[in-house]
Amino acid sequence: MLEEVVSIEFNREIGKDTFLMGFRSPLLASCANPGQFLMIHSGRETRDPLLRRPFSIHGIQDKNTLMILYKIVGKGTSLLSALKEGDAISLIGPLGNGFTFPRPTERTLLVAGGMGIAPLFFLAQALKKAHKHEITMFLGFPTSQEVVMTDQLKDLNVDLSLTTEDGSLGMKGLVSDLLDQHLSQELTKKPVIYACGPTPMLKKIAQKAITCNLTCYVCLEVYMACGLGICQGCAVKAANSKGKSYHSVCQDGPVFSAETIDWEVM
Amino acid sequence: MAVLPDLSVDIGGLRIKNPVIAASGTFGYGDELTPFYDPSLLGAIIVKGLSLRPMPGNPPPRTAETPCGLLNAIGLANIGIEAFIEEKLPSLAKIKTPLIANIYGHTIREYAQMAKRTATVDRIAAVEINISCPNVEAGGMAFGTDPDTAAMVTDQVVKNTTKPVIVKLTPNVTDITTIAGAVESAGAQAISVTNTFLGMAVDVATRRPKLANIIGGLSGPAIKPMALYLVHKVVEAVQIPVIGLGGIMDYQDALEFLLVGARAIQVGTANLINPKTPIEIINGLTDFCVREEIGNINQIIGDLRTKGEGHEKKGNRKDT
Repeated sequence: MLEEVVSIEFNREIGKDTFLMGFRSPLLASCANPGQFLMIHSGRETRDPLLRRPFSIHGIQDKNTLMILYKIVGKGTSLLSALKEGDAISLIGPLGNGFTFPRPTERTLLVAGGMGIAPLFFLAQALKKAHKHEITMFLGFPTSQEVVMTDQLKDLNVDLSLTTEDGSLGMKGLVSDLLDQHLSQELTKKPVIYACGPTPMLKKIAQKAITCNLTCYVCLEVYMACGLGICQGCAVKAANSKGKSYHSVCQDGPVFSAETIDWEVM
Repeated sequence: MAVLPDLSVDIGGLRIKNPVIAASGTFGYGDELTPFYDPSLLGAIIVKGLSLRPMPGNPPPRTAETPCGLLNAIGLANIGIEAFIEEKLPSLAKIKTPLIANIYGHTIREYAQMAKRTATVDRIAAVEINISCPNVEAGGMAFGTDPDTAAMVTDQVVKNTTKPVIVKLTPNVTDITTIAGAVESAGAQAISVTNTFLGMAVDVATRRPKLANIIGGLSGPAIKPMALYLVHKVVEAVQIPVIGLGGIMDYQDALEFLLVGARAIQVGTANLINPKTPIEIINGLTDFCVREEIGNINQIIGDLRTKGEGHEKKGNRKDT
């Protein structure tokens, strides 16, 4: 874990309100794992927005460049989107626990909803690099204008299926529908599921995986005040665990095994 | 090179090497921020609020950001005093600065038990009584809004420990000076001003409060002018040292609190954003003293100038 002020290499809009930002940090790039995140402040001196924002590490490019993928959702991300090449940002990372990798022989299924693609792209990148895993990925977006990163995923040789809520590209519906459809088939080999996206989507996928007795890891995206495990702000209810009522997402996660979360209250 | 100024101060019998203290609830149990700097550099560390038994905390969401502020309703989530002493304290041995235990009870009796338990632990240098947490149902702020109960809690803690007792007050009262006076009379050796201001925020899209607890405590730069005012009031009302806190983000903020008379300051919310803030404040205070040819930080404390010459000369000693 370290704090670093880095220079932005690129910050470009690659889909509707969706930005891909890259910054040089050889140190972070050398130790970051898929599923881990960064706490980023767009300007150290500002008081508003006050807090840093958490961003999943989206991938590594040319060994030394770290990437984040984000959508403008509020003031923090709006200010971030206005930054140009050469501007400085302050970041702390890498934070949290990353994904547990599947065994090379396991079928790997990645399920991403919207910006949930951010950590899963990094996972796909790392898995391909490590063991040439065969990866199937289900991607869901609200509409075709917001679809991003599909070419890069195809370059990684990921078997891709797409949904949009309005049907403007790929199958019409939710990405969880795609998973349901897939799991209703006769499967010769059980997949290990890795999911990231909005909470209602994760809830559906996690509950489905638990019912089907599948190994499933979810990467939670919640509001965080510090990201460092000191404020206890980013709590999620733990499932029937002994003594522990809440997990701290920044410290115990953000990647959790699906059955460790109490999805009823999510 | 100029001689380094003496930054040490005395808070109710506890001598600390500089007036910069990490505030409870924003510094974990003491060593979480070690990756960023050596916590031994701090004047003191006040650990996360502790209770007799572990507390799970409130349901999420527990935090919400507002302009220049942070609302929280953590609900004193903590591992309990026994687990702290057994599991956390041993690893804090390497930190060479006083550790202050922030203690909380559901009842006055529990505060007394907490005082007794911490009294036997050498590593704990002082206790800070939390009678100001707005996010718990029983105890907490309820004890801090009435002068008589505030005095009873203080009295029980003082009677059950030999360590310096600091009382952390809530701003959510009509007249903070009556509470301050009451805890001073009950034997408190110092007072921390202030805990968070009650507040709330609503998500208009869902029409839901942004905190599951509905209400929470506001901290951060948004509260600094109000906190500074309360410190000013309390400093004038009591004889014991006052520790100022509320939205301190840099050394200039710290100086404002010292000038109105705070003997020391605490850094809270800023730790969450820039963990190195307390170190930057210590360095900033050192440089300021060198620049202003101030040999001892105590020369600044309470040096608020309200009479005589024009405001432009304030804080610029070389011209006077």
